[in-house]
Parts: sequence; C-alpha cells; structure tokens
Amino acid sequence: MQACPYDAIHIDPDSGTAAKCNYCAHRVEVGLEPPCVNVCPTHAIVSGNMDDSSSEISNLLALHPVQVRKPEKGTRPNLFYIDGDEASLKPNATTANDGYMWTDVPPQGVDFNSWQGAIKRHDHEQTHLANGAEPKAAKTVYASTEPHRGSWGRSVSGYLFTKSVAAGIGLILAPLLFLVPEISSTHLAPAFLTALVFLALTNFMLVFKLERRERFIWVLTKPQWRSWLVRGAYLMIFYGGTLTLALVLTGLGEVLSPLFLLLIILGAFGTSIYTAFLFNQAKGRDLWQTPLLAIHLLIHSVVSGAAMLGLLALYLSDGIMVESLIIRILAAGLGINLLAMGAEFFSEHPTEDGEAAARLITRGTYRKSFWWGVFVGGHLVPIVLLALGWFIPGALLALLGVYLFEDIFIQAGQAIPLA
Amino acid sequence: MKLDRLTPEGQLTSYPPAEKWEDWVEYDPKCWPERVKRHYTIIPTICFNCEAACGLLAYLDKETLEVRKFEGNPYHPGSRGRNCAKGPATINQVNDPERILYPLKRSGSRGDGQWERVTWEQALDDIGSRIRTAILEGRRNEIMYHVGRPGHERHMERVLQAWGVDGHNSHTNICSASARLGYALWLGDDRPSPDHANAQFILLLSAHLESGHFFNPHAQRIIESRFNGAKIAVMDPRLSNTASVADYWMPTWPGSEPAVLLTMARLLLEEDLFDKDFVQNWTNWRSWMATEQDSPHATFEEFITALKQHYAAFTPQFAEQESGVPAKDIIDVARQIGRAGNRFASHVWRGAASGNLGGWQTARSLTLLTVLTGSVGTKGGTLPHAWNKFRPTFWSEPPQHKEWNELLFPTEYPLSHYEMGFLLPHFLNEGRGKLDVYFTRVFNPVWTNPDGHAWIEALTDTNKIGLHVALTPTWNESAYYADYVLPMGLAGERHDVQSQDTHSGKWLSFRQPVARVAMEMQGKSVERTYEANPGEVWEEDEFWIDLSWRIDPDGEMGIRRYFESPYRDGDKLTVKDYYQHMFETSVDGLPEKASQEGLSPYEYMQKYGAFQIEGDAYELYRRKVSLTDTITTSDGTVIKDGKPIGLMVDGKPCEGFSTPSRRLEIYSPTLEEWHWPEYRLPGYIRSHVHRSQINTKLSEFVLVPTFRLPTQIHTRSANAKWLNEISHRNPVWMNQKDASQIGVNSGDLLRITTEIGHFVNKVWVTESIMPGVIACSHHLGRWRLKTNEGSRWSSTLVEFIETDRGTLLRHVKAISPFSSTDPDSSRIWWSDGGVHQNLCFPVQPDPVSGMNCWHQKVTVEKARNEDKYGDVLVNRNRAREVYRKWLTMTRPSTGSLRRPLWLARPVKPVRELFNLPPPK
Repeated sequence: MQACPYDAIHIDPDSGTAAKCNYCAHRVEVGLEPPCVNVCPTHAIVSGNMDDSSSEISNLLALHPVQVRKPEKGTRPNLFYIDGDEASLKPNATTANDGYMWTDVPPQGVDFNSWQGAIKRHDHEQTHLANGAEPKAAKTVYASTEPHRGSWGRSVSGYLFTKSVAAGIGLILAPLLFLVPEISSTHLAPAFLTALVFLALTNFMLVFKLERRERFIWVLTKPQWRSWLVRGAYLMIFYGGTLTLALVLTGLGEVLSPLFLLLIILGAFGTSIYTAFLFNQAKGRDLWQTPLLAIHLLIHSVVSGAAMLGLLALYLSDGIMVESLIIRILAAGLGINLLAMGAEFFSEHPTEDGEAAARLITRGTYRKSFWWGVFVGGHLVPIVLLALGWFIPGALLALLGVYLFEDIFIQAGQAIPLA
Repeated sequence: MKLDRLTPEGQLTSYPPAEKWEDWVEYDPKCWPERVKRHYTIIPTICFNCEAACGLLAYLDKETLEVRKFEGNPYHPGSRGRNCAKGPATINQVNDPERILYPLKRSGSRGDGQWERVTWEQALDDIGSRIRTAILEGRRNEIMYHVGRPGHERHMERVLQAWGVDGHNSHTNICSASARLGYALWLGDDRPSPDHANAQFILLLSAHLESGHFFNPHAQRIIESRFNGAKIAVMDPRLSNTASVADYWMPTWPGSEPAVLLTMARLLLEEDLFDKDFVQNWTNWRSWMATEQDSPHATFEEFITALKQHYAAFTPQFAEQESGVPAKDIIDVARQIGRAGNRFASHVWRGAASGNLGGWQTARSLTLLTVLTGSVGTKGGTLPHAWNKFRPTFWSEPPQHKEWNELLFPTEYPLSHYEMGFLLPHFLNEGRGKLDVYFTRVFNPVWTNPDGHAWIEALTDTNKIGLHVALTPTWNESAYYADYVLPMGLAGERHDVQSQDTHSGKWLSFRQPVARVAMEMQGKSVERTYEANPGEVWEEDEFWIDLSWRIDPDGEMGIRRYFESPYRDGDKLTVKDYYQHMFETSVDGLPEKASQEGLSPYEYMQKYGAFQIEGDAYELYRRKVSLTDTITTSDGTVIKDGKPIGLMVDGKPCEGFSTPSRRLEIYSPTLEEWHWPEYRLPGYIRSHVHRSQINTKLSEFVLVPTFRLPTQIHTRSANAKWLNEISHRNPVWMNQKDASQIGVNSGDLLRITTEIGHFVNKVWVTESIMPGVIACSHHLGRWRLKTNEGSRWSSTLVEFIETDRGTLLRHVKAISPFSSTDPDSSRIWWSDGGVHQNLCFPVQPDPVSGMNCWHQKVTVEKARNEDKYGDVLVNRNRAREVYRKWLTMTRPSTGSLRRPLWLARPVKPVRELFNLPPPK
C-alpha cells in the first residue's frame, strides 16, 4: 500500500486484505469489458488492446496528446488521460478547505490544512487575491479516488524503535568483544537476551498491525523475493539465529569466535538498515526515499544499542563500560545524528512532496515534537546530561528521542495525500 | 475448468449475449484470482430512479433468486447499455437494511411515528371501502392521487377514469410547468425532444452532461455529436460540469435568458440567417399580421419587417445589460446557431424556466430560435416529443369522467400546466374542498415542495385529509404523516411500461419484478408480486386492480369491469393480461419482431425488456392528411367538421402541428383570449429576481435552489449508500468577490433569509458562479424526527422548536454510523447530511403557467451567534401572506370556459365540465 504512488491499494474491510482495481480481470479474461467502461454515459472511459493498432484505444492514443499520473515514479502507467488537467492529476495542485464540494473530507490520518500550508509556504510565488483570503489555486472539488487512511501507525514506529535496539546491541557488543574479549558471560547473556527480546518485539509489532495476522506466515512460505519485507524477515531470522546461538554459547561458557562475531555484526547491520531498502520500495512516500535513511537507521541503532547496553551494564553494576566506551559511543551517536538530521532537513528534497513532508516536520504539524522532543529532548539534553555524568536520564531521553523521531518520520511520510 | 471466452483474444464485448442470460456463469470478483463460478439468471428491467427509464439488467443468484447487481441493458434504445450512478445503485435500495418491507398502519396520532404491521388484505379493505363510500355519496372529488415519480404509461389515468374521479394530481408544477406551457403554446405539444446526436449546434439551458431530465440518454448523444464536430453553448449562472466542457459558457443572470434568446433571434432576422421558407410555410404569422398589424393580406416580407421592429429593443447591448453575458459572445453564438441551419438542437426543461416568474417565456423564446433556423423536427433539430413517445391503447377505455376538481384546476389558473398541486394545503386551508382519501405515490411534498410546514399542517389535520396513504419504496418526510405506509417495489420489483422521448425514435420498455419472472421461468406459480419480492413489497399495478375490485366488488358501480381480463370474461385482470394485451395490440411491429424469434410479444418484452418501435422520425408535420370531407380556407388551413386538421403547403395537404391552427404559433391567440394579450408573442417578462429587484448594497442576492447533483435523485436516493457516500452535503456556492464583501471563506456559516424565514448553511467560495447569484443544490438536507424511521445513511435527526419568530428546525444529531445487517452502516465516515432549504421558501405560483417560481430573493449575512448549521426557521403566517400576494397576480377565467379546450390536462373530463359555472 505504501508502494503505490496513487493510493490505489486499500484494505478491503470485508476480507481484511489488500485490494485494488484490477480492471475486472475476471471479466476481461472471458472477453467482457470492465463495467466502468460499459456504464459511462459519455463513454469517457475506454479500455482495450494497445497492441492492436486498429483498436479504439490505439486510435485515441495516436490522435491525442495524453497525460499520465506521476510518470516520475517509474510505474509506466497504462492509464492515460486525454486533456488531463494538472489540477485533477496532481493531488498537490489543488487546495481543500472545509470539505469537498459534495462531501466531507474522509478521515485520512492527515492534517490536510497543515500540508496545504507547507505547500503554500514552499511556493513563494503564490499570488494572493486582493483580500488575501484565499490563494488563487484550484480547489479540490471531488476526491479523485477514495483516499485512504495512512495505514502505518504507532506499531510501525514501535517496530523501528525495537529493531534499532535489537540491532544496536549486536552492532556494539560484537565489535566490543573484539576489543574486550574478556567480558563475562554474566554480562553477555543478558545483553544477547535483551537483543533477542527486542527482536521478538519487533516481529510482534510487524505481525500485530496486520488485519489478517495469520497470513504473516505467507511472507516466509510464499516469499516475493524482490520485496525487502521478505528479505528483511529472513535477515531478522538470521540475526535472531546468531543471537540465540550466541546466548547458548555464552551460557555454555564458550568464547565466541571472531568469525561468529562477524556473523552477528552482519546480522545486526542487515537488520538495522534493511528497512531503508524496504522504505525505498514504498515508492508512494517521497520522504522515505531519502538516501540518508540507511545512515539514520544505523545511527539510531548505535544510539539505542549504546543506551540500552549502558543501562544494562549499570543494572549489572559494571561501571567500566559505562564510564568508558559506551558513554562515548552514545554521545558520538547523538552528535552524528544531529549532523545527519541537519543534512536531511536543511537540504532541498528532490521532490515537491518530499519537501512538503520535510517541512511538516520542521515547520508544520510535527514541529513541536521535532524541535522540543527530538532535537532538544532527544539530543541536546542527553548530550549535556552525559557530559555531566548523569547517564540514566541521558540514555532514557536518547531512547525516547529515537522513538519520537521514527514516529514523526512515519507519520509525516504518510501525511502527503497521494491522490 | 476455465470459462469460454465470448470474443477472440484481444477483443472485448460489452454484455453477455441474450441467449446466455437464463443461465449466465461468471467468476466471482471477490474470489479472484481464484476462478469461482457463479450462476445468474439475467432479467431486464428499467431503472426507477429518475424519469429517463434507462434499461437495467438484474443479475439474480440462480439459487436464491436474490438480485446481486444491476448493470445496463444493451437492448434498450434510449440508454443503450449505459447508466448513470443511480442505476447500479438500485441494489443499495433493494438491500437497504431500513427499507419498508411490510404494509404499515399508524397506531398513534398522525405524525407520531407509531406504526403497526398490517396485511395487504386489511389495507385494501379499509381503503377500498372508504373510496366506495365516497363515490356512492357523490364525494368523488375527495379522492386524490398525487404522484411524484410517474411511470406506467396511461395506466393510472385509466384507473382514475374508471373510478370516475378527477383526482390526478402531480408534481408537474414544481417541476416543468413553465417549460411545458412555453412549448405547448408553440407546438401544441408540451415537451422538446432534441436530436442531439445529429446536431451541429447545441444550446442547453441545463446541465445535461451531468444531470437533468433524461440525463443519461441525452449526455451520450450530446457527446456523440460533439465528437462529430458539434459546438455546445450552455446558459447557466453556474459553471456546471456541463458548462465547463462546453464551447461557450454564458452565465446569465437568472431570469434574463429570454432577453438573450430574443436578441439572438433578432440577430438571425437582421443578418438573414433564418429559414424563410420554413417560417413562411409553418408559422401562423398571418394571424398576427391580421390582428396585431391589422393587415390580413400582409406579405411575408412585411411580417419579417414587423417582427424585426417588434424585437428592435433586443440589442446585444441590452441583452448584456440584462444578463451579464458579453454582447460579443451573444453575437458569436447567434451566428453559430444561424450557421448550423436546421441542425440546431436545444433544450430547457427546468432551470431558467422553472426558477422565474414568466419562465415559460424562456421555452418560448428558445423555440423561436428553433423555428427561425427551421430546426423543428429535423435531423439534428428539436422534435415535438409526441413523435418519440408511445401511447398504449386498451381493450376497454372507461368513459371520460364528469367531475372538475377545483383543488386541481382552480379558475385563477386557466392555463396552468397542470394541476396546482403545490397549493393544495393552501386551498384546503381556505376551505376550497377537503380530501377523504389522499394517495401520495413516490412523492414527498413535505420535504420537496415549497412551504413544507403548510403540508405538515394539512397532513396532520384529519378534517382536511381523512386518510393519507403513502405508496413508497422508501421512508420519507411525508410518509411520516401518513395513515398507511404501503411499500411499493423498486426497479426490479414491479411491472410497468415506460416510453420516453429521449431522441429521435420511439421505444417502449418494460419494468418487471425480476424475482417473480425468474420464479415463473422455473415453473413456480406466483399470484401476487409481493410473494416474490423482499418482505411483502408490492407493486401499484396489482394494488390498483385489487383496490378497484374492493371498491366495486359486485360490479354494480361499473368500475370493476375495467379491471377484468380481456381474455377471460369476468375474471380479475392480471398484470400479465394487461401487458400481454398491450404488447399484442398496440405496439407497432412488436408482434412481427417477436414471432421472428419464435416468441410471443409478451415473451419478447420479458426477454429483452425493451423494443424500438420506430427509428428516426423527422419532419412528421409533413405527413399527408386526407382531403375527404374537408374545406380549405384561403390561408391554406384544412378544416374538417369545423376543426383544423392540417394545412396546405406547396400544394400538399400536411398534418402540421398539434396547435389549434395546426401551425407553429408564434402568435398565441390563446394568450390574447385568456387575458394576457401583452404576451401574445414570445417575449421577455422581468423575473421576480430581476436585477432591479436585488439591492446588492443590502446584501441581497438571487438564490438558485434548483440544480441537481449527478448522484442523487430528489428524495428517492436517500437509502442508496453508494450515492450518499459520493454526495452528502450541499454548501451554498458564492462568488469569491461576494464572499470577500461579506467576509467569509469556504466552510463558514451563512444565514440566508428568504421572504418567510431563513436557513443556515456553509458557503462554498468559487469562481464558478456569477457575482450576485448564489446557488444551492436542492438535493440533500434530509431529516427525520425519530431515531428509528428514515434512512440513516443520509438523514439528520432534527427537532422542531416553536419560537416567537416562527418554527425552527434544528439538527439534533449528525449522521453517524449505525449497526444493521449491512456492515457498511457501521463504516459511515461522514457526518454532514446537508441543509434543507425548500422548507423556508414560500409558494410563488406563476400567474400564467402555474409553475412554482423557485428562485428566491434572499438576504445573506454571516451566521449569527444563535445560529447553528442546518437551522431552518419559518414564519408560517408570513408564508400564507406570500401565497395570497402571488394569488392576486392571477387573471382568472371570466369567459365561458374554465380552460382552453385544446390545452392538455391529465384525465380530461367530458366537454361540458369545461364550462365555467355561473358565479354563485
């Protein structure tokens, strides 16, 4: 659903599964036109065989200049519009006030006005009417397709958060074992266990949000290998396997071999950043197409891993680690993240929708959470606290910052209507 | 096993072929890509939502015989397999969890909302005996049938004729009376049938690409000609979807349309762009010259000179000043019309005609253009509708009745088209009569008519209306005030036939109770349609037959015999008898066509649902009349038995038109005779909302409250969930300029004050309406007073509050999800149901046509603190004053007749009843 740049896919409330118009494949197969073609009084919809040069549709395509929706998304659409007006083809070419002409605006989980505001502020050339009341932009009169509620909510931000903790523990602990191989198993086992618990939580979050939870198993049994959802699932299984084995081996008092440590690192690394590729496949969401996403995820893993390990170490009263490395890793992670966020939000996004979403974060709907929650509460304050030696509040705030950022990122990404 | 393809690979067809309809197999789309086969029986019927009577195919589950979906019927000559949203949405109405499934009788006092279920037998006995008593006691005028949504050609008229009552009342005068009068004065035929498909220039005073009368059949033909190069102009103060794709949008100040049309006519005359031969041969110009110009021997050239002089004031500058349309556009369009020659199609039905005082002159001025271009009845022109409409004949016709119901045709409105139905509560109030049995049939006067409170008063007063029987498929605001609510079937649940003048050609279509047909195909016998329909939903045809037998059980009143079988002496008429006889005897070509397929005419109609009686029919006014026993006058009129029956043109005796003179009457002797001499020619009457009446400095506006939405149909579509999801609010359109002046943005609340009250609605600020004019669709704003009845998909729960300023309707609870057998009812995501505006409109009867002039002069302001969205305040005393004010504008008949004999009226009484009784 996030992959479709046209908001064409939705969850069928009766079946609880994804659905979309398939041009009535069940009719076309037996040689019947789709009913939307049949029914239209003015024959505004024409379907047919584009390979047959004598078909009506081929003639129309040959005779008329046509437009498609969002060609830049590379979906090579076969739905063409004759005389397609930009206002009806581009969702952000029009503004909406209180409702459409004949309907309320359906709930979309989207702050429409804020989005409009972001667009308007972005467009400095926007002319205003004499009274300054409303911009001279075309107004959304009808919803061109049924808009759907942004389908990813807290469970997805939760998934990103727990995953960054799970991956972060491995990412920090395994290299640490190269440097400090003598860390005792009493300290290691709880760390691996925590990573495993968070990994389990991660998967719970993934499955929990499904309408038809029993079908999650299809990801594994009927894999679509091009999907990073599937690849990610296998990556997490792999990582989970290494963690389990590590837990067992540590429990048995074995020393983990460098090769095995490398496998853990690979698993953790993959678990951390595969989501960047997954989000990249969510072509509908421009914000999520950012090339910096993998770096964000990696830094978030490091920050949350460090914070969690530090808290664990404190709990296990192993002061050495906290005082030395972990604090530094955490502080450095937070610092680097500030730079990365700067790069993300204070450089121009390649697309209008991406830019509008970024502006929703820095100046729009999410600005308070972003500036006070993420920037100040999640980064500046923890850095100061760490510098002052108050690790526990610093680490907790850093974790909160990670969660908040993921949540804003998920919401803002979906706040831009696709159709 | 996969299903066989209907077409070669790479090609598609539109519909399953008819020979496969009985057992049609297709894949279940819900199960796709799994190929699960479903068996259907496909039975044709016709849509019941608007009047266009488009064809539908009902897909019945072969096992359960429940209708699963409706698609278009490719064999229907009008709709040709296509439908608007309202056709397929019929399935929602069928499956509405709140639909009325059983006959209901009120158990509390009227309007209390207490109902008990009764049997059809009980209802028939009760109603039948009341009517019987009324007839036996000579109170025939106390029986009235008031129809909203008509159908079944002539059937109801025959029923009333058989009962001998003058009780046919209709919605015409809140709908099309003015257009009808305008057309009737010219053509003797009260409807236009534009041949859009072949036109070169189309002038629409409507929004026919999206809505309006015969929208689907017209829209497809308008687009067809457009693809062949036709140009389209639209006159509408509002940029409708239709205007937005037209070549010309002419935003006219409401009511100024005749000024523009007459100016264009004058331009055609001045620039010699008119069809001289046609005008000379086929109009009654000589009569005008003889009476008006006092020159009975004038030449045609003299007539044209006189006509130019008559319209000399209609300069493009004048038209621009009246309408706001730039003079150059008016000239441009006029020339285009002139160049289109006799391929000029045009149409006005409601809109400008029904909104304005004198709106009937709009239809008349428009027809002047049709006549000048010689486009009357031509290919690509505009035809009199009678050429394209089928009228059945019956095995026995009851005699004309001997009553004249003053409640329907009062002396004040001798030219009304037709019944003064919307004044009924005022007439009852004045003691002009009373009603013992009052049927409303798919009609909702409380909500639809102006001054709904007058209706509520009348309907709750059992002394004025003894028994109110609501025949309706759905709940509505008027059924709420009934004694009986009798559920009547929807598109696929009833018999009747319809023929509509949708284009050049004549067709007949057959509406059928599809489950009953399927059961009979399976060999099951069905005696009454309610045995096959959901619950005990019935149909009127059988209801009237059974009721007529109750009225006259032993046949002594002479009523029963008209409801006996033409095939079996003395047996009760069945609907099959009725239609079988019609199809066998009065549908030209049907028996032959049917026998080619080895079917009886009835079986043919049952199988295909429609029949094309005639193809293109042009210039039928040239049809030859026989000269036997006739005399021909010096002006070429052919007279038989003292009545003109045709005219000589180029030495040939032709039928001409249905007017008294058999000519196109540019000059109307009727108007002269009936006290409106100033309107004897097509002219311009300044509307009650003319610019001079509107003081913009006082925030006065014209409110155009009449436009339709493509996805609603009056108050019948309230229980179609799909349609309500697509449209459920009706904000007031206002130009950006005006909105700035008042200081509102889209979504802000406005208080709009009419002559009798005000309503509060949201504003929709737009460039798509001309400044000074606001518009609000008449759809939406449905309400209910109780938590139970009413279609909760679209009706807002309201209460009436008596205040010192009047009666206030206030919203209590917005639309919200509800639980029912349909899971979608719990998924309702919208809360806005729109605002009811008609309630605070006074009645404004046009003194000539009798049409309610819908446009309102209003004052607009920002909503006040005490105002709430949806408020409608009405001062009922003021409403009565406005009624009386408009009544004084009439010129009652004073001669010997109540009404011109030639003018149409439904269920005509015998000739003597037209005589005006001497004043008491």
